[in-house]
Amino acid sequence: MNRTAIVALALVLCAGTNTIVLSHESQPGILELRQVSRDRYEVTWRAPIYYGRPHPARLVLPEGWKDTVEPTVRMLPDSQVFRRVVTVGDRGVEGIDLRFTGLEKTVTDVFVRLNRLDGTMMTVVARPSKPFAKLRGERAWHVTAGEFIGLGFHHILSGVDHLLFVLGLLLIVNGRMILLKTITSFTVAHSITLAAATLGYASAPLPPLNAAIALSILFLGPEIVRSWNGQTSLTIRYPWVVAFLFGLLHGFGFASGLTTTGMPKSEIPLSLLFFNAGVEAGQLVFVFTALALVRSFKILEVQWPRWAEALPGYAVGSLGAYWTIQRTAILIGGF
Amino acid sequence: MAGIASLCCPSSAAAHLVMTGMGPVYDGIGHLLLTPEDLVAALSLALYAGLRGPISGRRTMFLLPFAWLIGGIAGLAVNALPTFPVSAVSFLVTGGLVAADFYMPVSAVMVLGIVFGFAHGFLNGVALNEGAGILGLLGIMIMLFILTAFAAALVVSLNKPWARIAVRVSGSWTFAIGLLMLGWFIREAK
Amino acid sequence: MRCIRSSTGPSIVFVMALSLPWSSPALAHVEQGQAAGFLIGLQHPWSGFDHVLAMIAVGLWGAQLGAPAMWLLPVTFPMVMAFGGMLGLMGVKLPGIEIGIALSAVMLGVMVLAEARPKLMLAASLVSFFAVFHGHAHGTELPPGQNGLLYSMGFVIATGFLHGLGILLGLLHRWPAGKLALRSAGAFIAVMGVTFLWGALK
Repeated sequence: MNRTAIVALALVLCAGTNTIVLSHESQPGILELRQVSRDRYEVTWRAPIYYGRPHPARLVLPEGWKDTVEPTVRMLPDSQVFRRVVTVGDRGVEGIDLRFTGLEKTVTDVFVRLNRLDGTMMTVVARPSKPFAKLRGERAWHVTAGEFIGLGFHHILSGVDHLLFVLGLLLIVNGRMILLKTITSFTVAHSITLAAATLGYASAPLPPLNAAIALSILFLGPEIVRSWNGQTSLTIRYPWVVAFLFGLLHGFGFASGLTTTGMPKSEIPLSLLFFNAGVEAGQLVFVFTALALVRSFKILEVQWPRWAEALPGYAVGSLGAYWTIQRTAILIGGF
Repeated sequence: MAGIASLCCPSSAAAHLVMTGMGPVYDGIGHLLLTPEDLVAALSLALYAGLRGPISGRRTMFLLPFAWLIGGIAGLAVNALPTFPVSAVSFLVTGGLVAADFYMPVSAVMVLGIVFGFAHGFLNGVALNEGAGILGLLGIMIMLFILTAFAAALVVSLNKPWARIAVRVSGSWTFAIGLLMLGWFIREAK
Repeated sequence: MRCIRSSTGPSIVFVMALSLPWSSPALAHVEQGQAAGFLIGLQHPWSGFDHVLAMIAVGLWGAQLGAPAMWLLPVTFPMVMAFGGMLGLMGVKLPGIEIGIALSAVMLGVMVLAEARPKLMLAASLVSFFAVFHGHAHGTELPPGQNGLLYSMGFVIATGFLHGLGILLGLLHRWPAGKLALRSAGAFIAVMGVTFLWGALK
């Protein structure tokens, strides 16, 4: 593809660069309500650590809910877990709003699950743009589907590291068939590990995973320069192999955006499917925007100066390097 | 580059995430896509630039977002809404030009793009004072660049006569909407 | 203008009631209420049978005339109609709106029936003349408190689609049987126009 023209992609990327540091801070919070008797519920609020500090959001329960035992707080390496047992009074929990004050100032989504004694359950997501969750009866599947598609879409478009990797692949790939193969193998690979991680067959600890993902981006930098110079390499000849191998890593990264703790087994495959569909949709939007821009530049006969031609390639390489150092530092500091 | 500026202060992005929950740059992108006063008018201008050929399309692609940004910064600073019906007039001007496939030299198209971008950017700037601020403007700028590139390139690539007519029909619709908006404005003013 | 009301009336009132609470600041985001404004605008041109028939007749006649009239009419008509709409919005009185609209159906129907081929300028002027009446009627009927832009967008787009429908049907003109069908459609529109005229004059 005409890599001279991809400079505008750098602009697109800037849309996401604000969230660079957030990309590995975007673990969701989880609120679980488990009915233990008619009017008694166990409330577990797992607040992720946010920028190395306790999460700023506070869970506000309705007025009439009374603690029956002393609330407890447990500190985990990646989260704080607040546990309470409450009586909810005669009104029950249907139609109740649970608020998260301070959530609107963060980028954290909160998954809320309600498990009832009769085995039924509901899930709902509270977001910074909607910092509350309304409890109500079970939802139609398409509501859940919409929610998880949106979640996946959101996750990839706000995860600049994934987009930058895709951009790097676009810069290396030459020709339509190879592009198709490369994008497909990236998709297949990350779907495999996303599914494996979500279904509990495999897992990757977050700090080394983030460092490895950064490394995958850094890896593409020299390959891009090599392709500029007309040289060839294994990556340039078989980009789909690289896309597949690193795609496996990125799939674990996607899985961090879809935590299914406490979700009933029966609901996991469906939400996984739609979350993945959302991720693919976001990825396709990015790829098509990039390709259509390149095509538009060609039609409009844009001549880029040399530095502008090189910019996207250097952006991939230098940001990859920066993240690799930063995340390795976090990794070592964590030991 | 403004993008690099946004890179340097990633933490400020976390400060106010109100509307899309995806950060102020995305809020800006959403603002443009969901505000037909700006979206339709900008697309219409891009179509006109495309009708005038690749050179004016290309220059508009760079000039429009830039003028929009400057206008937006001015709007953020001034923070007062003009009483002039900006969007009605830009619908009329751009729609009319597209419908008539009116000839103008490239320099005139550029002046049009600058004036147009500044006026709409100014209104955006005033509106964004409450929310996403300068990073929102950046999002708008990015989206404008992409949309202008797409629309102008689309028109330049059309070579069937009926396809160009279809573009002109869309211009006549824009003009018609502008007329109705103007009528509306006059009625409200009465 | 509304000689024959379609059943969309009650639903319009309903949607209007839903969308009353919002005002229209120039730069506000599209909210649900505003989407409703768009839908009302989209429905409005379909709500009067006389208007629908006249718009389709414009498309049919344009298709019969062939290029360039087929292209000229859809480009000029929305603009002239919106001009009428602007007059209506501004409160400029125009005499005999209902009669004008009914007459437009009669005239356009007859043109299609006769496959009349006047000079391009004459055809354009005739259509434009009637377009002012159609636009004016819509302008004065616009429900108050709506977001002008989204309403207008819906309104213009729906009218455009009616023309498109007419042009699409008009493509039947290529075949002899299609020609006959078009002319009988013209006759139908003219007859309906006469009944509208009767209603307007009574």
